[in-house]
Amino acid sequence: MDKVVREVSPEVKEAADRLTSNVSKVIVGKKETIELVMVALLCEGHVLIEDVPGIGKTMLAKAVARSLGCSFKRIQATPDLLPSDVTGIHYFNQKTSEFEFRPGPIMANIVLVDEINRATPRTQSCLLECMQEQQVTLDLETVALPRPFLIMATQNPVELEGTFPLPEAQLDRFLLKINLGYPSEDEEGVILSRFQQGNPLDSLTSVIEAGELLELQKLCRQVYVDDSVRNYAIAISRATRSHDDIKLGASPRASLGLHLASQALAAIRGRGYVMPDDVKYLATPVITHRLIPKTEARLRGHSLEAIVRNIVSTVPVPVEELT
Amino acid sequence: MNQVWRRGILYVAATGIEGCWLYALMALLNKQVADEQISISGILLLYPVSFGLNKMLQKLRWPGFCLRIISWLLWVAGVLLIVKIQLFGGLAWADTTWLLAIPRAIAGVIYTFKPALLILLSAAVIWWLGRRLAYLRVSFATLVGEFQFGLFILVIILFIAAQLKVDLAHSVYLIAAFFLFSLLGISIAHALEGTSWLSGLYRGHWSGLLLLSIGLVLILGFLISLVVTPDLLHLLLAGLKWIWGLIVKAIAFLISLFPAPKSELAELPPPIPVPEIGPSQEFKLWTMPEVLRNGLRLGWTVLMASLLVFAMWRISSQIFKWLRRKLASPAGAEYEPLPGAFRADFLGLLKYLFFKMLGLRRLFQPKARAGPLLPEIVSVRQIYRQLLRWASAAGIARHVSQTPREYLYELAGKMPEAEGDLDLITQQYVRTRYGAWLPTEEDLHRLRQSWHHVKQCTLGDRRKV
Repeated sequence: MDKVVREVSPEVKEAADRLTSNVSKVIVGKKETIELVMVALLCEGHVLIEDVPGIGKTMLAKAVARSLGCSFKRIQATPDLLPSDVTGIHYFNQKTSEFEFRPGPIMANIVLVDEINRATPRTQSCLLECMQEQQVTLDLETVALPRPFLIMATQNPVELEGTFPLPEAQLDRFLLKINLGYPSEDEEGVILSRFQQGNPLDSLTSVIEAGELLELQKLCRQVYVDDSVRNYAIAISRATRSHDDIKLGASPRASLGLHLASQALAAIRGRGYVMPDDVKYLATPVITHRLIPKTEARLRGHSLEAIVRNIVSTVPVPVEELT
Repeated sequence: MNQVWRRGILYVAATGIEGCWLYALMALLNKQVADEQISISGILLLYPVSFGLNKMLQKLRWPGFCLRIISWLLWVAGVLLIVKIQLFGGLAWADTTWLLAIPRAIAGVIYTFKPALLILLSAAVIWWLGRRLAYLRVSFATLVGEFQFGLFILVIILFIAAQLKVDLAHSVYLIAAFFLFSLLGISIAHALEGTSWLSGLYRGHWSGLLLLSIGLVLILGFLISLVVTPDLLHLLLAGLKWIWGLIVKAIAFLISLFPAPKSELAELPPPIPVPEIGPSQEFKLWTMPEVLRNGLRLGWTVLMASLLVFAMWRISSQIFKWLRRKLASPAGAEYEPLPGAFRADFLGLLKYLFFKMLGLRRLFQPKARAGPLLPEIVSVRQIYRQLLRWASAAGIARHVSQTPREYLYELAGKMPEAEGDLDLITQQYVRTRYGAWLPTEEDLHRLRQSWHHVKQCTLGDRRKV
């Protein structure tokens, strides 16, 4: 083996620190969640934020969007939202007597789709092409979306009335699913005092520009992944396919997502190489939402998080063997 | 039922499990070796005596070395008492012949196996087991281990008895008692602890796997005892002899096809007279003393038997380890009984075993060989391997799913004084292993120093780890 010293440029870590401290002005605590959002940004992967109402899902998405010097649009998903409301339409301009393209809110760097599960399956499906291929096809015309492109969707798992569960194909296109969770007592106190004078979101400025983000993404791809660690990520994905409680396991897209996300996480933590810890840490947010449990497992009360934890606790980590 | 009673029952269950296979083993040996001269129940009485006396000794809070000596002195007294009562009952106590019975039995072990020797050995095992139980905290894991080992030994004993056509008295009652003690103890221990590996996500598998493993062991034992009989072995031997005869005949036939070489000499010269050597001179040169020969034979037999027992024990442990791993579950998962789950679990297990067997062929496929590593990298990995081996020997083995960082936290928790050194070793290993980092001479020097510190600061008190 040649002498290789794996170092990474400190720019990624510095940018991540800047974003974290900026978003933390609005979102109290939740540094790990902000780190995961940064991972998604660096992988250009989409994020699904799921939690009960009032936790700060939309606030987090808005704070992240504002921290990036990128164009930002918001879509409030409702049952009467149409695909054309998202992608845009060709309308007839009477002045010029020509059809013209009016872009929809999807034509932005950061798109917040609030309460995504309130949109009908037809509207949800129009996001498939955008999310995977970063383009929109309207009539006979294909329009490329601006780069970087990131969808941050929120959904509420409690209310089921008037909602449409996301199809598996769409869930698979989200790189990460993040749960915020309730703040601690102290954190809740800080939230109240911070919002007493006004909304801190209004004073938030951008700390990362779009061009810089694209450069950071390229730097992350240079992070070294040893073959053993890569095989470990694959082993975790494959283990989900043969698990007794799982009907549909993780796709190769999940393995790819786990690989890319691990690189990004390593770079954020200032490392030029990926450790098994990175893969292990990201397995839950990357894989969980892509799995479909068996009915027996659901009836037994096995949560997907518990199943993924169980899988991770059985897959051997590549370390020295004693024999 | 309060905790004290439950603990008491656990001790009774452990004693019962060990007592059952001990009884079976001694009954077999008694018939084969001692012509049923000794009373097994009398020797088995040593078990509770050993347990009680060692429990009392424990309370003295004397140094462990003294307690051990006292315990084994009591054992010597117990053995002599049993020999006197069972083998020399009619002899007066003043007559010291019975005191010499054991030394004589040991001296003549090469020529004959005397009942006194059987008493000595069995009493040693029983005393040791009683002492072990006195110092042991009987838990769910202990009882499962006892059950595993006991079942294995019982099956072996029954198999041997069937082959030797020895009628073991009360064997049916013995097996029934064994299962009664085992299942009673295991269920009570499980209820007491509630945190065992059966209380999690997959505890629905337990009953099925237990029944399956018991059934498999019994069926296998039955099939082996049915198939592998002395007649079959004789038949196989005769078959081999017949095949060998055929080969010899074929070779002889092939040789006969060639013409015999013509000797140029008409007559062979007369044989040179050999000087007469007396039989005593001849044998002195080539034979070893009978005592040495018997000693070597005994040693060889003991070695082979030990290897066989070890191999069987290892296989059995591996099976149970696999079952435990299969049943390992995270804490906090809820369980809801589901009709039809047992059938699904059972079929799932069979499917898993089938595919596992199919996968065995991979063992015979050549493995891809990695390129040679640089000596610096080898050094770092070697030191980490030494750390793993050392910690494993000290009782903190790394779980297969633990990353080096997670393992570091566990080790540092047990050895806070060596946290810095452990951190350095782990950090260098992680960077080398996953980051393709090449350490300098200085790094290696620091690494060796840290490893030396880790060994030093804990070698004095390994129990701490």
